[in-house]
Amino acid sequence: MPRYLVACDAGGTMTDVIVVDEDGRFVIGKAPTTPHDESIGFLESLEEAIEYLGLGSQDDRAAFGAGLETAIYTGTSMINALINMSGLKTGLIVTRGFEEMIIQGRGSQSFIGYQWSEITHMQYRKHREPLVPRRLTCGVTERVDLFGKPIIPMYEHEAEAAVRELLAKGVESLAVVFLHSFTNPSHERKVAEIARRVMAEVGREVPLVLSSDVAPTTREVSRANATVIQAYASEPARAQLLRVEQCLADRGYRHSLKTVLCYGGVTNIRYPRLFETIMSGPVGGIMGAHYLAATMGEPNLVCSDVGGTSFDAGIITAGTLPIDREPPFQGMYVNVPMLDVHSIGAGTGTYIRLDSATGRLKLGPDSAGGTPGPVFQEQGNETPTVNDANLLLGILNERYYLGGRVKVNKAKSLANFTDKIAEPLGMDPYVAAEQCVELVNVVMHEHLVQTLMTGYDLRDYVLLGYGGGGPLHLVGYAGDAPWKAVCTVPHAGAFSAWGGACMDYSHRRHKTVSAMVAPGADKATRAYTADAISAAWESLESELRDELLDEGFVREQITLRRFVYMTYYGLLGDLEVESPVERLRSDDDLDALIAAYETVFTTMYTLAGKPDVPTYLVNEVAVIAQVATVKPRIIRRELRDASPEARASKGTRPVFRNGGWNDAAIFEMRELRPGNRINGLAVIEAPNTTLFVPPDWRLRIDEHDVYWLERQHQEAAR
Amino acid sequence: MTDVRELTENTALLDRIAFNDRIRAETGHLFGLAELRRKTADPGVYEAIWNILLNICNTGWNIGCRVSSSAIASEGGDALWALHLPTGEAICTSRGITAHPGLLAHFVRSLIEAGYEDNPGIEPGDIFENNDPHYGGIHPVDFDSAIPIHYRGELVGWATAVTHVMDAGYILPGSIGFMNPDCFADGVPVTMEKIGARDAFYPWYQKRITSRTRVPEMVMGDARGRLAGSIAIRERVLGLIEKYGLDLYKDITREYVEDGRRYAVKRIRTQAIPGRLRKSNFKDLAMKGKRVIMPDQDIDCLFNLPLDVTIDGDAHVRFSLRGASGWVPFGQNITPPAVASALLNTYSHIVGFDMFNSGSMAAWDLEMPPAGSWANPYPANYFASSGVAWAPAVMWMSSLYETFGRVYHCRGYVEEVAAGAGTTMTAEFAGVNQFGVYLAGLTLEQASNGSPARGMADGENSAWCIYTPNADFGNAEISELYYPIMFLGRNVEPDSGGYGKHRGGLGHTAVWMIMNTPGVEYSCGCAGMRSKVVANHGMFGAYPAWPDRPSYASDTNLKELIDRQQPLVHERGDPEHPDLALRMTAGHMETDVVAPFVTPGLLHEYDVVVHPISGGQALGDPIGRSVADVVADLDRGWTRPRIALEVHGVVASQDDDGRWHGDDAATAVRRAAIREQRKGRAVPFSEWWREERGRVQAKEAMDPAVLQMWRSSMALSPGYGDELRAFWHLPADFEF
Repeated sequence: MPRYLVACDAGGTMTDVIVVDEDGRFVIGKAPTTPHDESIGFLESLEEAIEYLGLGSQDDRAAFGAGLETAIYTGTSMINALINMSGLKTGLIVTRGFEEMIIQGRGSQSFIGYQWSEITHMQYRKHREPLVPRRLTCGVTERVDLFGKPIIPMYEHEAEAAVRELLAKGVESLAVVFLHSFTNPSHERKVAEIARRVMAEVGREVPLVLSSDVAPTTREVSRANATVIQAYASEPARAQLLRVEQCLADRGYRHSLKTVLCYGGVTNIRYPRLFETIMSGPVGGIMGAHYLAATMGEPNLVCSDVGGTSFDAGIITAGTLPIDREPPFQGMYVNVPMLDVHSIGAGTGTYIRLDSATGRLKLGPDSAGGTPGPVFQEQGNETPTVNDANLLLGILNERYYLGGRVKVNKAKSLANFTDKIAEPLGMDPYVAAEQCVELVNVVMHEHLVQTLMTGYDLRDYVLLGYGGGGPLHLVGYAGDAPWKAVCTVPHAGAFSAWGGACMDYSHRRHKTVSAMVAPGADKATRAYTADAISAAWESLESELRDELLDEGFVREQITLRRFVYMTYYGLLGDLEVESPVERLRSDDDLDALIAAYETVFTTMYTLAGKPDVPTYLVNEVAVIAQVATVKPRIIRRELRDASPEARASKGTRPVFRNGGWNDAAIFEMRELRPGNRINGLAVIEAPNTTLFVPPDWRLRIDEHDVYWLERQHQEAAR
Repeated sequence: MTDVRELTENTALLDRIAFNDRIRAETGHLFGLAELRRKTADPGVYEAIWNILLNICNTGWNIGCRVSSSAIASEGGDALWALHLPTGEAICTSRGITAHPGLLAHFVRSLIEAGYEDNPGIEPGDIFENNDPHYGGIHPVDFDSAIPIHYRGELVGWATAVTHVMDAGYILPGSIGFMNPDCFADGVPVTMEKIGARDAFYPWYQKRITSRTRVPEMVMGDARGRLAGSIAIRERVLGLIEKYGLDLYKDITREYVEDGRRYAVKRIRTQAIPGRLRKSNFKDLAMKGKRVIMPDQDIDCLFNLPLDVTIDGDAHVRFSLRGASGWVPFGQNITPPAVASALLNTYSHIVGFDMFNSGSMAAWDLEMPPAGSWANPYPANYFASSGVAWAPAVMWMSSLYETFGRVYHCRGYVEEVAAGAGTTMTAEFAGVNQFGVYLAGLTLEQASNGSPARGMADGENSAWCIYTPNADFGNAEISELYYPIMFLGRNVEPDSGGYGKHRGGLGHTAVWMIMNTPGVEYSCGCAGMRSKVVANHGMFGAYPAWPDRPSYASDTNLKELIDRQQPLVHERGDPEHPDLALRMTAGHMETDVVAPFVTPGLLHEYDVVVHPISGGQALGDPIGRSVADVVADLDRGWTRPRIALEVHGVVASQDDDGRWHGDDAATAVRRAAIREQRKGRAVPFSEWWREERGRVQAKEAMDPAVLQMWRSSMALSPGYGDELRAFWHLPADFEF
């Protein structure tokens, strides 16, 4: 019986399903996302994929269900609950005096995602609507200090009154957030005890979430946001996931559905800490890149995803995933470890405008996205987009846009672009279009090189481009930076869905600590610090191991990695450092950890930032527990001739480049084979993406079907 | 030289400055750039390089803030990195405190004007620093640094940075030196000094910081952050030049500055109207009877902060402070270049910029403030202190919101209207902290006020800070890492914004319990705040936000209350019946202190401080506010029933579930009654004028501080005095 793996990436607009067979071959289905019941869109997309597999008969389909070994689903139910305010009616119990902690939030939450010119201009800022209104928030008198010492013992009568009041108001879940509870959770736990007693008394039980369980890390606003999200959105999201799982079960699937964690990894949909799945969009791409990098033997990878609305990028260094411990999300900062993906509003649907006051070219940051799409799509958009420029330049094929499924009106695009951009600039429309595309490429390049790569040596990194627009702009935004190599994949348009199938089973946990190593500290003091760090690791390891054992794994399957977040005392920013040792058992072990930190620091911030006589501070520790899973195989294929087969060629097409028209060789991507090489100027077309190869570049397809873009002089030297 | 073509790489910087000044005066364009040729020829490249420069400056920020020791910088936004032309004009800046690019430019220009090109020379790897207000500083805790950028031996620009350090060695601990009597109390001086070479600090500089500041590790941490960020900018700019060529870099960077000017002009031309606008504004500094340093400080002061704006038919804007009152014997004097840089800051808030740089400073002129005034003290007192020079400037800048709001409104740009910004009453603690380490410095509370009401919406709560758009008060748990305090509360303060159709964004109140220290001093500082006098009143019939009045209690019974599980103090409560007085007893309690002040003695464990942070100003008549908005505020606890009824005229009742419901019919009746009451109080203007004139002429009930303010205003600005006398029809020899 053939075995299959299904991975689904349900985005805001489209739901992509990828089905991989045991030989690593895969097919992709697409359908509109159905937010009210995501299982509908999922099934539609799955049906399309199954059709591509050629499984038409009832028997084939039954065999497919029975042979389905893993199903991974990432959806929008969590994020939709937050956007639409459709989560559980949640009651919040906080340290008295902080009842408006999530309502007033922090000033910087009111301009998350804004451009600098919007941040300076006061008029624009806006706090998001709180997930819990003031009337469902109760304060309880208590205070623990930063050392974990209770200075004000909790007023238990207030806690009981708060629970009764909130239950009486009909709350469907309860969240508890006390200051410094990550250091001493006793007050929160006492509230939980009281709440359970009261719930038993009144005969109504609701989910109860403690911040010290959810996110035992400092910064109360972000911890509260994470805790409330867990209380507010996780159960409605789980209900959606269970519906999807039921649909699969109806088709013969015998296992539990998996979902994607925002720090990379999959977990069972019954995993209690479902708030860790709030952001899955960029995860698939990064994790796919991570898996691909391991196959290629490349430890350092820059992942770049060009979509219709945004350009997302992240770095994998030495196989380690980038983590943001307090990422911005939906107008909040949240204490949820998340893959550190930096996004800007630049994609193929990004609007191109001229500022009437200054005559300056402006890119977005807003975009037409897939709907209404570029002007040439004639769905109501009258503002030129990046893809209008790509079409005018001849890079996009007017008769093969999205595989020819979408009708294109090039004349309209030209008239619109000329009227709104070229003529006001006094420029030829094609010259102007080329400048616009170049500008997009520079913006993306800068985002990678200046924002993302601070402190990293580009010569050590392979740049991977994916997303529907990735291959189109990849060489452009790679620019002349000294990347180790530049590559993409033929399934770039569905790479995120594919990446969803490439993740290990993984759980991650962080804990705030305060461990200091002062200069000249005696051995006993250093040992005390080392023990504190080791003890924190041990505690997190125990939690994680228990979780995974509970989920049916055996101890031998679990691998553990340990991290610290270290800084020089007095500095605010800390850096993630993977521990070179399992435990800090000796003075040498502590020195090894410090040396690892100093290597990272001086690489990032130069020696100018290093104090002369440093004191080291560990702010936080983390542990990752992983269990390897079955993933799509990346098959090593036989290399064919350098010249593509004749059927791959689609002739030539004029492409505007460097101020003039040149004939570009056109190829069908599906007909290319490993070993093929194509010199630019060339355009490689596929239904879900277009790869542009400029004149001085060459495409080489390796045995893993990875598409390498190389400068022709480099390639000649190979 | 009369032609830009005569400028070469060998032209002395001083000559280039002279050329730039002259050509601007002759042509009206910066650098004589009547055309922006690079922009016209290659608009895509023009935007691309701008994008690169923005990224470069923000890389400086990212690196600098992470290396910096100061929460004020990275969490409070009080820092900035920038790139400059060789002659000092700021081309592009990072995010951060937008008040400083003008000052950093002035600092570089001061180096050049002082002949540094010859002595000591400007070499690759040099580090220059300044905190002297005469030469581009503002208040000495803002340390400016500059490193030159050389390309193949030619000076092609500067990378600069500023951070607000925790302590600059003022006479009193901390960074808000409102009480500094003169510049000799303004701490460690750094006057355009070369403090390092080959990208490293000189040993003496580090030793001086160690011996002359109270938290030297943190001050040096900031210095390292400034340097690391600046080096990052320098290296990346050199890479950019290598790629695009020096000629293009030189041309295009000048064009960016000129384009910044053009943008500012264009915004005014398209959205404002010509004319003259004047706004009266006042600020108090009530120190009589309080702990001061010198005997002559035992006084109350009142600042006259007049704003006079003229927009001509060519959209050129002229600012004047004619009528500004005299310098004060406190750290609240500011220099003209700092006023100009403050204007740049506020311009960015209310005019907005895509291309924020020195260019916009050429879109307006600032008339030299009256010699001897708080805005130009040195002609009269060379030793005037600028310990917290922002204080009067912040209040003055707030007037700009309203002034420009009015012209935008006249032109129909209602969405651009903003009432006055909130103010900045600071909190600092000094003493041994919970780690046994001496610490002095600023909390982050003041970095997030309520934002001003907008033309079409309320202001946002705790979302704006007039001195930095990166407004943020951070997390309480982070503040507790620094200071020996425990938060008992940090909630929205009801009714703390101005009352209006659109109310000001609300501020918050921090309640702190002192803990884990043998003793700590609390300084409630004035970095621009209202205490006795309400500065800036809101717009179009709104009522002003209330004054900033802190409270504190020492030798309290808080521990006993805790032991008995009695209610504690978590917020300010009703201003007329504050929680502090209702719930606690203390050996010493102040529930309505006229700020600023420093506690007369150390505070100890279980002592309490109640520190309010103000809201923004409002817009429109409070009885024009929708019943639904008032009811929503009642439900959220953001307004009190008394205010809803008496100020907004909304009749509402609360159900058993605690929800409020407005009564539209009863509200209409109530509002009609309010209008009738107003009419009953109204008198014809001529009658009001006659009555007031009599009071003015008789100097009726005028405090000495008021009289002194008017005397100095009229003496320092005779024309202003004449206008004042003319308005009130006073005799030509009338004096206050």
